[in-house]
Amino acid sequence: MTDKSWTEIQSLGVKAASGAAVPPAQALAFGAMVARHLSDGGSEDPLHAALNAPDTILTLAHEIEAMVEAASVSTRIVSAQQPDAGQRALLISWLASLPCQADIVTHENAVQAHLSLKAPSTRTRPARIAISPSLFSHMQDLATRTYVPDSAASRTSGAGAGLMELD
Amino acid sequence: MKDLVPETLPLRPPSDVMRLERMGVMMPTRLSFLRVLVRRLCAERAQITRTRFEMSPDGHGHAVYSVDLSGHTYSLVAISKDLPADQRSDRVIATAWDAAFVLYDGVPETAEIERIAAQAPLQEAGRFGPRDLVLSRANKSVRMWDATVAALRAGDQPDPAMIRDIGYLMRTTAVYGNGKFGIADRHLIADRPGLDGPFAAEMLAVYMIRHFTLDLVQYVGRSSLDDRLARHLGIGNATGLGMAPFLVTHPVLFNNWMLARETGLARARATDYLSEDLRDRAIALANRATWHLSEWHVPAPDHETALRQLELDWAAFLPRFADLNGPQPLETLWQSAQSKSVALQELVAALILELCPDVVDGLADCMGDPFGALVAPFCDTDALRAAIKADWDWAVTQDYADPDACRRFWYVSAAKLEPRLGDRFADEGAELETPLDIARRVAELMAGLPAQAQPVSAFLTNNPIHAHAVARVATLARYPYSEIRDNLIAATCRPIDMLRCKLSFFGATKFDPKSDLWTRITLAQGAPLGHELSPDADDWWLPVLG
Repeated sequence: MTDKSWTEIQSLGVKAASGAAVPPAQALAFGAMVARHLSDGGSEDPLHAALNAPDTILTLAHEIEAMVEAASVSTRIVSAQQPDAGQRALLISWLASLPCQADIVTHENAVQAHLSLKAPSTRTRPARIAISPSLFSHMQDLATRTYVPDSAASRTSGAGAGLMELD
Repeated sequence: MKDLVPETLPLRPPSDVMRLERMGVMMPTRLSFLRVLVRRLCAERAQITRTRFEMSPDGHGHAVYSVDLSGHTYSLVAISKDLPADQRSDRVIATAWDAAFVLYDGVPETAEIERIAAQAPLQEAGRFGPRDLVLSRANKSVRMWDATVAALRAGDQPDPAMIRDIGYLMRTTAVYGNGKFGIADRHLIADRPGLDGPFAAEMLAVYMIRHFTLDLVQYVGRSSLDDRLARHLGIGNATGLGMAPFLVTHPVLFNNWMLARETGLARARATDYLSEDLRDRAIALANRATWHLSEWHVPAPDHETALRQLELDWAAFLPRFADLNGPQPLETLWQSAQSKSVALQELVAALILELCPDVVDGLADCMGDPFGALVAPFCDTDALRAAIKADWDWAVTQDYADPDACRRFWYVSAAKLEPRLGDRFADEGAELETPLDIARRVAELMAGLPAQAQPVSAFLTNNPIHAHAVARVATLARYPYSEIRDNLIAATCRPIDMLRCKLSFFGATKFDPKSDLWTRITLAQGAPLGHELSPDADDWWLPVLG
């Protein structure tokens, strides 16, 4: 296991999801979820699985959208059924990574939450997050798919370009 | 009970403020982050102490400077190297620099200094820990450095004209914070007084780097710089595209910056009357602006022309400052600027803010984003459509089939993992575009909304690609200054305007654009020196050397 900063894990999670062809909004949310999931000691297996089957990420995103939408029209507890234990764990981490307060309980296959959409989350973040070399490598490999080789034009027009360096 | 909320006039609408044309001429203000940081250092009468200094006579080695800020001690560890001239480059692709820095949480022991001395010169290739708050590097302005050392060794002072024209001994080429390369995440320090504001740790690093450069040049020069000259030596910076997307990817934070600034302006404009002292102060600030403009020259012909035009316009506007005796004098002044150029308006805005610390300075506490976007979802697609109609006309009325409306694409370079800008019709990689094409995405969302209302979550289940645009629309509905209201992929988009806006919030002066893609600036020019930090030293808006 290696230690990374929260920002490193979150931004790598975003890039990895993007590299797996997940659309931008869902990739952003996925990155935040990865940091929360790992910092809370969650298993890496469902993260590998989700990145290997990006439709899983979209499905989780839809479940979250529906729960947030339901919470916006009622103060009642909202819930989602998720029979797969790994995806259920990710759903919990996703809810916990929302910027709003989320009180979460599970009941068999159901994930239930009370979302206070106007109240900020009070969850703390650790100084370091442990991640295995295999998951880090998996995410890096996917992230690499989003990078573009520099063009000659970009190399000659960036900051500092075209000047005498002794000025 | 007296109402303590300051009176205010209506804020300028986002449709006026959030345009690249205006962002591209913004000026530093007393709400700029470096200014706020230095004001706090001044209020606490902070003292910078040199706790270690192991340098060769030519200034190569390492040094540690510590400062107490609001109950915490922070240290700058500075590593100075002998850099061959052929390796000196301001490019982000450089691999060696004259100096490398870490702002450290606490006072580092020897082992920690040795660790930092080994890692900091590697910069992006190094590895850092949670007590490392900021990572930076800098290159000398060799002209300014050599001339200053030579003058000091000869028992003289450096040429003031050269200081006026260059303005710094070193320029940073990157200042990294918030978790990059393993350094501390921002959330670890975000609740500390003094570092709670945006980029406060980075600004503290910059201020202490400036202190280091002045200390080092006097050590190498074996003589003291005159305080007046030293004060006018800030820290240079070369900034490129890497900074621009931040304004798009942090919409709530950006909203809070702009909202604080606009609220401050609206409050100041509401001032009933100005005392004689404040009228004199307004005239003094206006004259200082004149002086500052006269000392601000850049090599790029188009930008130099714009500066000289602003100097002329300002000279013509100056008589307005003689007529601040009536009611709501700053509103009168402000309204008289509305028929003038956008650049002049932004200069007037910054001056009005400078004049009214009592109703402005407290807003600095509101410029962070500790929570993220707390937005409520739309009840259905009709509500979503209504929000787009209300706020996004500038986006949905463009024809994105026109190649020039979508010529640019933003991407992340494989070589340095830095943002870049490509030509969609000439360069490879457009399929990997970074989603900064907000305007086009919202237009596509609008076109794709169903005629019959349905829950937004149901719409997104079938159209997940639109979730990003939906989130931006929801965010703008709650945070009115969160969105740049221009097409960022248009051929006409000038990233330099985004850089100018962000850098003005940092407190940058002497913008010196080298192209539409990058600029040099100066930070901390005119700021009180390390031994001058006292409450009466917070008067260095638009510094002049004279």
